[in-house]
Amino acid sequence: MNKTVFLMIAIAATAMSASFANDVSSEIQVVFDRDVRPILSEKCFTCHGFDEAAREADLRLDTFTGATEEHDGVAAIVPGDPDASELISRIMSNDVDEVMPPPASREQLTSTEKEVLRRWIGQGAAYTTHWAFIPPKRPPLPEVTGTTHPIDRFIQARLSEEGLQSSAVAQPQTLIRRVSLDLVGLPPTLEEIDSFLQASEQDAEAAYQELVERLLASPHYGERWGRWWLDQARYADSNGYSIDGPRQIWKYRDWVVDALNADMPFDTFTIEQLAGDLLSNPTQSQKIATGFHRNTQINQEGGIDKEQYRVESIFDRVATTGTVWLGLSIGCAQCHDHKFDPITQKEFYQLFAFLNNQDEPSMKVYSDGIDVPALQAELAEVESQLSTIIDEQLDEIANWEQGIDEANKESLPKAVQEAIAVEQAKRSFAQKLALYQAAVELGGRYRELHDKRDELLATLDTDVTTFVMQERETPRTTTVLVKGDFTRPAEEVSPGTPSVLHPFETDAEQPNRLDLARWLVSPDNPLTARVIVNRVWQHYFGRGLVQTENDFGMQGTLPTHPELLDWLSVEFMERNWSLKELHRLIVSAHTYQQSSSDRAELRQNDPENLLLGRQQRLRLEAEIVRDVALKASGLLASRLGGPPVFPPIPDGVMSQGQVNREWNVSEGEDRYRRGMYTFVYRATPPPSLNVFDAPDGYSTCTRRIRSNTPLQALTLMNDAGFFEFASALEQIIKQDGLEAAFRRCTSRRPTEDELATLEQLDTLTAARALFNLDETITRE
Amino acid sequence: METNRALQELTRRHFFGGCTMGIGSMALVSLLASDGQGAPSAPATRNPLEPRDTHFPAKAKNVIFLFMAGGPSQLELFENKPKLTEYDGQPIPQSFVDGKRFAFMDSSHRFDLLGSKQTFQQHGQSGAWVSDLLPYTADIVDELSIVTTCKTDLFNHAPAKLFMNTGSGQFGRPSMGAWTTYGLGSECDDLPGFVVLQSGPRGPRGGAVLWGSGILPTSYQGVPLRNQGDPILNLSTPDPISPEQQRQLVDAVQDLNLKRLVETGDAEIATRINAYEMAYKMQSSAPELMETSQESESTLQLYGIKDPGESSYARNCLLARRLVERGVRFVQLYHTNWDHHGGPSENLEEHLPSISREIDQASAALILDLKQRGLLDDTIVIWGGEFGRTPMGEVRENTGRNHHIDAFTMWFAGGGFKAGQVYGQTDEFGFGTVENPVHVHDLHATLLHLLGLDHERLSVRFQGLDFRLTGVEGAKVVDGLIA
Repeated sequence: MNKTVFLMIAIAATAMSASFANDVSSEIQVVFDRDVRPILSEKCFTCHGFDEAAREADLRLDTFTGATEEHDGVAAIVPGDPDASELISRIMSNDVDEVMPPPASREQLTSTEKEVLRRWIGQGAAYTTHWAFIPPKRPPLPEVTGTTHPIDRFIQARLSEEGLQSSAVAQPQTLIRRVSLDLVGLPPTLEEIDSFLQASEQDAEAAYQELVERLLASPHYGERWGRWWLDQARYADSNGYSIDGPRQIWKYRDWVVDALNADMPFDTFTIEQLAGDLLSNPTQSQKIATGFHRNTQINQEGGIDKEQYRVESIFDRVATTGTVWLGLSIGCAQCHDHKFDPITQKEFYQLFAFLNNQDEPSMKVYSDGIDVPALQAELAEVESQLSTIIDEQLDEIANWEQGIDEANKESLPKAVQEAIAVEQAKRSFAQKLALYQAAVELGGRYRELHDKRDELLATLDTDVTTFVMQERETPRTTTVLVKGDFTRPAEEVSPGTPSVLHPFETDAEQPNRLDLARWLVSPDNPLTARVIVNRVWQHYFGRGLVQTENDFGMQGTLPTHPELLDWLSVEFMERNWSLKELHRLIVSAHTYQQSSSDRAELRQNDPENLLLGRQQRLRLEAEIVRDVALKASGLLASRLGGPPVFPPIPDGVMSQGQVNREWNVSEGEDRYRRGMYTFVYRATPPPSLNVFDAPDGYSTCTRRIRSNTPLQALTLMNDAGFFEFASALEQIIKQDGLEAAFRRCTSRRPTEDELATLEQLDTLTAARALFNLDETITRE
Repeated sequence: METNRALQELTRRHFFGGCTMGIGSMALVSLLASDGQGAPSAPATRNPLEPRDTHFPAKAKNVIFLFMAGGPSQLELFENKPKLTEYDGQPIPQSFVDGKRFAFMDSSHRFDLLGSKQTFQQHGQSGAWVSDLLPYTADIVDELSIVTTCKTDLFNHAPAKLFMNTGSGQFGRPSMGAWTTYGLGSECDDLPGFVVLQSGPRGPRGGAVLWGSGILPTSYQGVPLRNQGDPILNLSTPDPISPEQQRQLVDAVQDLNLKRLVETGDAEIATRINAYEMAYKMQSSAPELMETSQESESTLQLYGIKDPGESSYARNCLLARRLVERGVRFVQLYHTNWDHHGGPSENLEEHLPSISREIDQASAALILDLKQRGLLDDTIVIWGGEFGRTPMGEVRENTGRNHHIDAFTMWFAGGGFKAGQVYGQTDEFGFGTVENPVHVHDLHATLLHLLGLDHERLSVRFQGLDFRLTGVEGAKVVDGLIA
């Protein structure tokens, strides 16, 4: 009985059952963070919280001091004495002028909530710091029989509190498909399935371990998890707003893929993206990494105030940094102090100040292995030697020039004619060369140098560029902006971080992005590791341990398994912020490997599967829906990286935006690249990705929606791309049979029934049916 | 036992619920009926667009928004300002522009007042002023609430369009069509609940986010109906495939998905089965919708449609009527380009009259047609753009006006809006509001109110905040607009 009550409180946090209120005799200790804060935050803080400007009656209920302070002889809360507490008499009042929350606010307290507050005050009204602001400490592992894996010990301990058990391990064919899709975003080949099934019979654990290692070492791991990060980086290939011109920033995308494949520690990964240009002697790669915050939109519309949209882009950068690393809705403090979390508007602009000092150029990118500074030095040397040779012949050149009349002038090369038109002292180097070559008989040394120069120029020539950050010599002045309006500057601020979090320490006179990045990944930071671990977890189970993956603040949900979250966060940091280690840890747990099928027992007691008594079926991400079809049909071009590609899209899509954009369909293997390489115009995104909820790149996306719509059905049934893939799969059916094709899509053998259904169809229809199965686009 | 009941219900609805396919799958029902034990309980079917209860009784069921993209000049169409004509060419008094910001601030455009060259007359019982550019609209003013004091926050096209559609200049918020279908569901089971139609030389600035679902699931996003090719992307069966093959495909997929549903107990599969059912129906209902040649000659004439297959604003208006007739909840038409700055292809002399002709007859026809079919009572029709235009002229190659956000005109008809009134009063130059300002948030609140939705309750939690169409700064329902 109590277990059920506890479960409901812990899970739903605010949704208390009536039985709680009735259960007066029980000795349940009210826990502030779990039971009380959600009520205060939801119903009271808007007017009696952190935001001083919005505070009514000078009363704040977000601190013990504020709540117990006397106003005209009464205190809202008298610890230990609910009946003397004004708060209790107000919430119990029937008088419309007295009752809190006021009827006009449309907020109401349920009788259970009132009872919780009464009991909390009765028990002393203890305030504790919000859980997410206390740094995680490694908790002891629960004693559980039958498992040693730390994750399973936390999960199973919680399940057995409810008298529940985890599910059996999934079938090996389900397992290989699941872990392949999760780690590399591609289904296994039939050979891979067969050899795994065989190895599993020998030693299931060893076979699985080997499989995981193979997948983690695959370069496709970087693609799959790269896309996870690119969602958060709001990556796309155009400028956004209405004009939405194309941009080149795919080198940043490739940087992410490479960094993840190399298992770059997440702290370094963070620092290079936020401030790679500020590291000492930054490499080209570290500069490319700063593209993270260049994924903001650029307004190309006529008549705009450029400063307005520059400020907009920094608002977005502050909000994105807050959401991605801290899991806090810092953007809320842009116009006023945060209503729920202790973040002032001034602190918002102090963060803004870190991100306000860069120029935003596009940088030329050279092939790997080229030492650009050395080549540039060599070029300068060659040109200086050429200059010396030319300068020795200045008189001869002048004589030659004088000998030219209008008639033969026109027969000279254009470059020479242009050079002649320029006064001698003002001629460019190229013009000097042109004249010299026309006027003087060329010696061997000159030719040698000239050829060398051509060669160096060719090597240094590149048409690949990428958006980067480049710190200005003198920082801009940053002020608070009244209501976030860039035309209304107020108090000047210097760079700083919210005081509710760990202290910001630096020796720098003028702290910059690098200091901010280091602060974010400081081991003292209570949030970053938790937030990232949670977001990885969410990818595996469809939901984070904290369900509000983008809000670890007061309005967020409490973790379903707080100790597990903390244990994983500490482990993540201690394992040198290695994401691959984190993946290895999660996929090796039984919790991950169990069957996803529902069971009556779970359905009854934990319908939302919050306690993870089973795995979760998850519809694949948009890009992977495409990748699975490509792989199954044998068409996939698995080349990594490079410029975005233009697979066929339906006619007329590109005219939906303000500007008609060209879409020159890629030829050859670029038609069959993974979905993540498709060029994405923000204003007119590729329909087959958009319809499966690919993010639009307008703002950071920390969790994709998984919708389930008729348009998805139309896409899979009728889209020319999927039809082409189905035609290829048809050939496979003709060659290898229906069963093989079925396995290529689902990794399992069909039942007799299923096969019978498919056998009634012609081969093309059967192939199309396979791509339309819920199972084909789902990770089970 | 519960398993079987749910599944039987599911299959019954699936195969008999007006859906013509899948008789071959009947065997499955008995197969499932015999499988009593061990199977997980199957959840009931789920359809994100299932009709939902309103917060209170609604006056309107559907919305048609005629979006005049670019910002029509109220001063050439609805606002008769003799004072403006009198002061033509003189600088606007400084007190009007102090502290205001305009687009193209950095250019050297002058701030001289520009009188309208159009002739205005009063029309109907209400005596509303309408210029000679809109003769058909002038004839129906007694059906309209003309609001001259609309006000928005943003003065560049894309952000302002976003603001008009989502109540925010920020990307990622749901559009009002998405909010409406989220709040009410749809009464149409063979077409999307929110449909977008486009006409004019180019797409509206901003693109798909204008009808996006933002933080709501994509089930609620607007579906563009196209004039060329398939009306809905991927609607038609690929080329060599026969209707029989397509039916076999859908039957087989439903069969196999149902088996998987039994195996796994995952409610998402039930939703997917529903989605395939609707998709299949859409394949015939959407082309049928587009067959405007079925309409009578007099109807085509009413809208000014010469060729029933033409792609034009007029045909889109007719399609809008056909859509609400079929129970589609929210229809939005975009017509470009109203951005008359005074450039060679965007001026008040030539291009404003021509675009006015493009929309006038059909907009009025839509009202008349809805009315004679008894649809106007529960259909709201909205006409307007993302902002209006300044009383000051912009002299480029020709004459034009800049973007203006403080007072511009929109009109509303049907669905519980008061008929036959001009609401709000602007100053003598039409610069600011003297009486009854109506902010975009207030329009949204009023719209939702008439649909039976409380704009403060229609919210969704995201990153700790309750997001709603009307924002947080206290929108109000405009009682003066309600019949």
